[in-house]
Amino acid sequence: MMPRIPRIIKELFKIKKLDISLAIFVGIILVGVLGPLLYPVSPFERVGRPESPPSASAPLGTDARGRDVLALVIGGIRNSLYIGIIAALIALSIGVIIGVIAGYKGGITDNLLMLMTDVVLVLPSILIMMLIAAYLKERNPIFVSLVIGVTSWPWVARAVRAQMMSLKAREFIYMSKIAGLRDARIIFEDLLPNMASYIFMAFVLLMSGAMIAEAGLSMIGLGVTRGISLGIILYWAQLFESVRRGLWWWFMPPGACLVALASSLLLLSTALDEYFSPRLKGG
Amino acid sequence: MNPFVRFILRRLAFLFLTFFIFSLIIFALPRAIPGNPLASLLYQIIQQAQSNPDLVKAVHKKLLEEFGMDKPIHIQLFEFFGRMLRGDLGTSIAFYPRKVVDLVLAYLPWSLGLLMPATITAWILGNLLGALAAYKRKTVTDNVFLTIFITLSQTPYYWLAMILLYTLAVVLKIFPLSGAYSRGMSPSLTLPFIIDMLHHYMLPFLSIVIGAIGGWAIGMRTMVIYELKADYVSFVDSLGLSDRKILQYVFRNSMLPQITGLAINLGLMLGGSLITELVFSYPGTGFLIFRALSTLDYPLIQGTFFLLVSTLLLANFLVDLIYAFVDPRVRTGYVGE
Amino acid sequence: MTILEAKNVKAYYSTPIGYVKAVDGVNLTLERGIILGLAGESGCGKSTFVNTLMMNVNPPLHLIDGKIILDGKEISKMDRATLKKKVWGVLVSLVPQSALNALMPTKKIIDLIKDVIKHHMDIPDSEVLSMAKKRFEELNLKVDALYMYPHELSGGMKQRAVIAISTLLNPKLLIVDEPTSALDVSTQKQVLKILLNLKKSKIIESMIFVTHDIAILRQIADWITIMYAGKIVELGTVDDMLYDPKHPYTYSLINSVVTPEPEVRSRGLVALTGEPPNLINPPKGCRFHPRCPKAVEICRIKEPPLEKKGGRLVACHLVSS
Repeated sequence: MMPRIPRIIKELFKIKKLDISLAIFVGIILVGVLGPLLYPVSPFERVGRPESPPSASAPLGTDARGRDVLALVIGGIRNSLYIGIIAALIALSIGVIIGVIAGYKGGITDNLLMLMTDVVLVLPSILIMMLIAAYLKERNPIFVSLVIGVTSWPWVARAVRAQMMSLKAREFIYMSKIAGLRDARIIFEDLLPNMASYIFMAFVLLMSGAMIAEAGLSMIGLGVTRGISLGIILYWAQLFESVRRGLWWWFMPPGACLVALASSLLLLSTALDEYFSPRLKGG
Repeated sequence: MNPFVRFILRRLAFLFLTFFIFSLIIFALPRAIPGNPLASLLYQIIQQAQSNPDLVKAVHKKLLEEFGMDKPIHIQLFEFFGRMLRGDLGTSIAFYPRKVVDLVLAYLPWSLGLLMPATITAWILGNLLGALAAYKRKTVTDNVFLTIFITLSQTPYYWLAMILLYTLAVVLKIFPLSGAYSRGMSPSLTLPFIIDMLHHYMLPFLSIVIGAIGGWAIGMRTMVIYELKADYVSFVDSLGLSDRKILQYVFRNSMLPQITGLAINLGLMLGGSLITELVFSYPGTGFLIFRALSTLDYPLIQGTFFLLVSTLLLANFLVDLIYAFVDPRVRTGYVGE
Repeated sequence: MTILEAKNVKAYYSTPIGYVKAVDGVNLTLERGIILGLAGESGCGKSTFVNTLMMNVNPPLHLIDGKIILDGKEISKMDRATLKKKVWGVLVSLVPQSALNALMPTKKIIDLIKDVIKHHMDIPDSEVLSMAKKRFEELNLKVDALYMYPHELSGGMKQRAVIAISTLLNPKLLIVDEPTSALDVSTQKQVLKILLNLKKSKIIESMIFVTHDIAILRQIADWITIMYAGKIVELGTVDDMLYDPKHPYTYSLINSVVTPEPEVRSRGLVALTGEPPNLINPPKGCRFHPRCPKAVEICRIKEPPLEKKGGRLVACHLVSS
């Protein structure tokens, strides 16, 4: 597996879609990560007249409290990414574990697990998230990530289970079983590596969904109680009627960043899918 | 037993199970979360006794009665379900003494009136566009379409709403700035009111439709591309059937999984549309929830969620019914994968 | 009278690494009233060849060179729309390899038939129905099946339905692509019987039967032709080919299968070594020479032409006239 990775990466870069989407995504990440260093303005301090349009001193203008919008966006990118990654990891873990067990074991275990998955799938994640978040007075990023992660895993479980079931029927698994290898070993050595690309794509998709979900929660005031995220900037923008008062520099940049982040991730996953699918079918 | 009937019964059983689980969640949450939110709410209310002692006392008494905090847990559960089945979802705090049910039912029609037509429109248009893109796959048109679809699918309705509101209502002043109808008018079935309402309806409607189209188009495009490679397509193609007719066949078969997709996505769309209502100050359940959340009006929060999710589950079930009817394989009892 | 003439037909697949020469200069003349068996290893281009013969050529496959004349009409010059309206289903039909999924799953059989027929002929529904009923009865299919959905039919019924639909407009030439590969032996026999009956009752005039199963050919074919690496290597009557195969590849093919024919068995079982050739860069000289047990010097240098030698066509330097 190890020597294959550099070759895979090299061939991946030949796909144009991948280059573009990766460029956009990494670009935005860099803005978020290096931003505070290159633009050392605090997002919490008042830097100028409130609600002033973009100018030389504040490239993206100021919000209702005179804070620098560019600084806010940079800070927001970091938190949105952070929550997105954690939530995606949580959802991925739950989904993969349930999917693997259901797909591998089959029978009653499978039926029960899938019933549970279907119930969680049907219940609207956004509403459930709101309900849980509403009862929590203090919401830190981990909590928010947890709430998002715990409601976003069903589709991953279903997809992983399907992959598992088709892989399970392949000959090399029969051979391992005949050789008497323990289930856990078969899962880890034979099955999971074959699903690696699939799991990675699921992670990418989960991450983009999680960032949007966080923004949704924040928009109605249920995001993190302290700190900023792209969604929280939009929340304040909405509360202060920035749209009707024409303060376009306040609500447009955070939303645009969110859209750019999420869609570059989605484009990335379709490029990955293009690369991996024909191989999976052919190989 | 007729396989169709069997399918319906299974879905019905699932519906009830999900409903039951959801009710349990609603019951358990306020009582299970550390920090006992209910108790602290009650405490807060008592603290405000100085401002309006009589009102606060009444609210406090009502809350205690409805949540039954002083009774043992199984009695609470029993009373909870009992009240639910009788249609009593409690009394709102913020809007005391109005009942939660009445409040929600007053605001719900506006939300549904916005969501349902928007969902169906987006679904139909999205599927058509997706099929078109699939037909032209590997051309520049397809690539452009795909990029647009991807970007749109990741654009939250509420942000799209902000953009539309700003450009079309603030800058260009073509559409009104807020609400479902002009101030001073009252809902009636007169033509002027309907026109005014539609005028206010356009932007929220467009926000949801444009925001949702992308996702459907992407899904349909994938389905059609997949179906175009199917054996049944090459067979009728080699018998000379026209390309247009073949596309009809493919479209028909690709629509089926899209119906299932509709059921799955209804929940997401509901959430998105609720937040969109906020941007437009549209008098739907979104506004109600926002109010309830900011005042910690737990009965209202619970009740609204309860009714929304119930409506959603029902809609889900209806979509399942439609699917079972439309797909001949289910209708005539297909057994197999 | 010939039904089909293929002159120097070249059909290549264009790929990023070069042209895959699936059909590389094939000449074939098929007389009317003949069942021609086309055999060869899996992947030697048989399916591509027969699809090209009816001009069912879709990118990345392209007709690079050659002429195809079907029933006196030069179909290699026709555009897709004309082919769809005037040729496919009417003059020539292709029964696909996989009948199990060939039927549109969400339409009743009769509705599918109506769509196909009405595309070619403007006749009322009632006439379509009687045509369909008659053909179904001839193929031993219960008429009820017409009103069913594909998933309600058994595998054998689906196969027969597919054959019925392909022959509804009485095409002069029926191309059958590996109809027996996915079937058990008894169903195989049924299908062969149906095809022979179609020919006997003159519903079908000529047939090309593609298979990799040599044993089947004895039961159905009049003539047999063998393809290798995009070229025809031998063509002759079924008796000649099975009892006296001249080309070394034909010999290996026929004798690699266990058959009851004593003449074949007496020659002993032969195993063909090596792999099918790379069609992007086929071997120089005779394309079979790397695997040929009898190859000599000239085989490596000069490609043997397909020539008439003793009542059959064969492309091999070692075969005398």
